[in-house]
Amino acid sequence: MSDRLGEPSNTPLSSTDNVMSARDVSLGFGATTVMQDITVNFPRGSINALVGPSGSGKTTFLRSMNRLNDKVPGFWLRGEVCLDGHDLNGSDVDPLILRRKVGMVFQRPNPFPMSIMDNVVAGVRAHKMAKRSELRDIAETRLAEVGLWSHISDRLDDSPFRLSGGQQQLLCLARALAVEPEVLLLDEPTSSLDPRSTEAVEELVRRLTPELTVIIVTHNLDQARRLSDNTIFFYEGQLMETGPTPQLFDAPQRLETQRYLGGAVTVNGDN
Amino acid sequence: MAIPTGTSFLSSLGGTAGISRARRMKNLLWWSACVLALALVVAPVVWILVSITAKAMANWQWTIFTQNSTGIGGGLLNTIVGTMVLTFGTGILAGFVGVGSGIFLAEFAPKNRFSAIMRGACETLSGIPSIVFGYCGYLALVVGLHWGYSLAPALIVLSLLVVPYIAKSTEIALQQVPVAYREGAEALGFTMPRTLRKIVLRPALPGILTGMILALAISVGETAPLLFTAGFSNSIPTGALVHEPIGYLTYATYTFYDEPVPAAQHLAADASFLLVVIVLGLILLTRLIVRLTQRYSPTRRDRQTRAMRRAAAAVASGTVAAGAGTATPGA
Ligand SMILES: Nc1ncnc2c1ncn2[C@@H]1O[C@H](COP(=O)(O)OP(=O)(O)OP(=O)(O)O)[C@@H](O)[C@H]1O
Ligand SMILES: [Mg+2]
Repeated sequence: MSDRLGEPSNTPLSSTDNVMSARDVSLGFGATTVMQDITVNFPRGSINALVGPSGSGKTTFLRSMNRLNDKVPGFWLRGEVCLDGHDLNGSDVDPLILRRKVGMVFQRPNPFPMSIMDNVVAGVRAHKMAKRSELRDIAETRLAEVGLWSHISDRLDDSPFRLSGGQQQLLCLARALAVEPEVLLLDEPTSSLDPRSTEAVEELVRRLTPELTVIIVTHNLDQARRLSDNTIFFYEGQLMETGPTPQLFDAPQRLETQRYLGGAVTVNGDN
Repeated sequence: MAIPTGTSFLSSLGGTAGISRARRMKNLLWWSACVLALALVVAPVVWILVSITAKAMANWQWTIFTQNSTGIGGGLLNTIVGTMVLTFGTGILAGFVGVGSGIFLAEFAPKNRFSAIMRGACETLSGIPSIVFGYCGYLALVVGLHWGYSLAPALIVLSLLVVPYIAKSTEIALQQVPVAYREGAEALGFTMPRTLRKIVLRPALPGILTGMILALAISVGETAPLLFTAGFSNSIPTGALVHEPIGYLTYATYTFYDEPVPAAQHLAADASFLLVVIVLGLILLTRLIVRLTQRYSPTRRDRQTRAMRRAAAAVASGTVAAGAGTATPGA
């Protein structure tokens, strides 16, 4: 077993093994530039928090890591976003396979209008990853993984919309995990959840690493602090500062970082 | 600090006067207006159903199902079969074209001049009076292509008439499917066609079916375009597409209602009654399909189907009105 930040033994890379990375990435819509010259690495098996004020481009950046922006009118991207060293905007990359390797869970739970069971295995079916007879077992495994199985084992054929919001989000996580991604992108996954469900999601994220790499956008600085290994601070279209989470929170180099994350320290005092 | 305001707010809530007189009056007024509006919608529907049924039942004879129409008497068998064939054929032809163009407009159409032209054409098409369709069909197909009064020109004209409804309702139904479904599917690596088939089409189905049912009700109830294209025949259609006129129910009502022979007048009443029955049957069929396919809709958090009932009721009143309305301009 490798340490969270360590490299898996079977990979030949030298220093740190970055599952994903962005090199000199600028992106925007039409004439507006949303982000400029972003260079950042995401080490394999780590939990990375993207923080920054509203409108700083976190969602846009996250979505371009599995090419969800491709069809957005006016979207452009310069530079390289890499998965395992391959530029994922290259002409040889099949976005469908990319998205299987890089999963995403959104801010609002978005189960599909089909049974709970079908939701979990939707991606498995789409990528023909298993035989029909195996689907039920896969659903059970994934639901157990996210901690839902014991609650809904007798409701597999039920509508997902009868689940609570937190359960729906866990279901979406199970669905994303079922296609066995290497990287999981989470865009404020707990912002519509109560503290208990939030805890369940955070607990799950911890359990999933280091087998999985997680990149999570959050406005909850406490969450970034207690959950992530690295924090990336976006500010006005720039990558202001990045580093190991404790270092960024306790000894920020930039004034803006200090101000933004400093807000968290005072809020923290309340807990 | 916040507590006193809270209590004063609460005490005013439970104040001595309760809800003021003026507000009660206003509520009452609104309620009456709503009830009146409802009555204005429901009353004609009930009236039509009751009077048509009564008129048909007064001289009901089961032989209308076994005999073909003769000049001014006989049964309705040939017209029933003809209407069924026309409706079924239109459903298939217009269904494919309409649902196809709706899907294209909503999902694939580039936002450019081409799709704008297509949309414009659809809107124009839906605004053209049905008698003009009939006349054009007569000129181009019956005479122009020498098809004669027959099934093919009738199907083409009826389909052209209803395609805009189907396309529009399909497009709207697809657009109303939450973006979150599509993005979720895209993020899972679904192909576009798969997203459409597995995720988007099902929740859009009630809307698409609403358009289909409206279209079919129109083609059941149309008279004018058929007079120009299908002609009329006293025998059961053999299935020939051209050179064979075809009978239909609306023709029976349209020609027989003022014939001096009572038998003919009875047939007119029976045909009207059957038209309404067919339309109601179509509505029930839609409701059944909706019920069977919308088990996993977010609006169904419980096992209730209230929302669906409401939707079906809206469809029902809309189609009955359309079905009843279209017969008049044709005559
Ligand atoms: N489809 C789009 N077309 C044009 N501009 C867009 C589009 N999507 C986002 N933007 C702009 O890009 C900028 C970054 O938006 P983004 O949603 O990435 O911010 P964010 O950091 O995720 O904000 P929040 O924390 O509020 O979610 C914003 O100024 C936004 O207006
Ligand atoms: Mg965002």
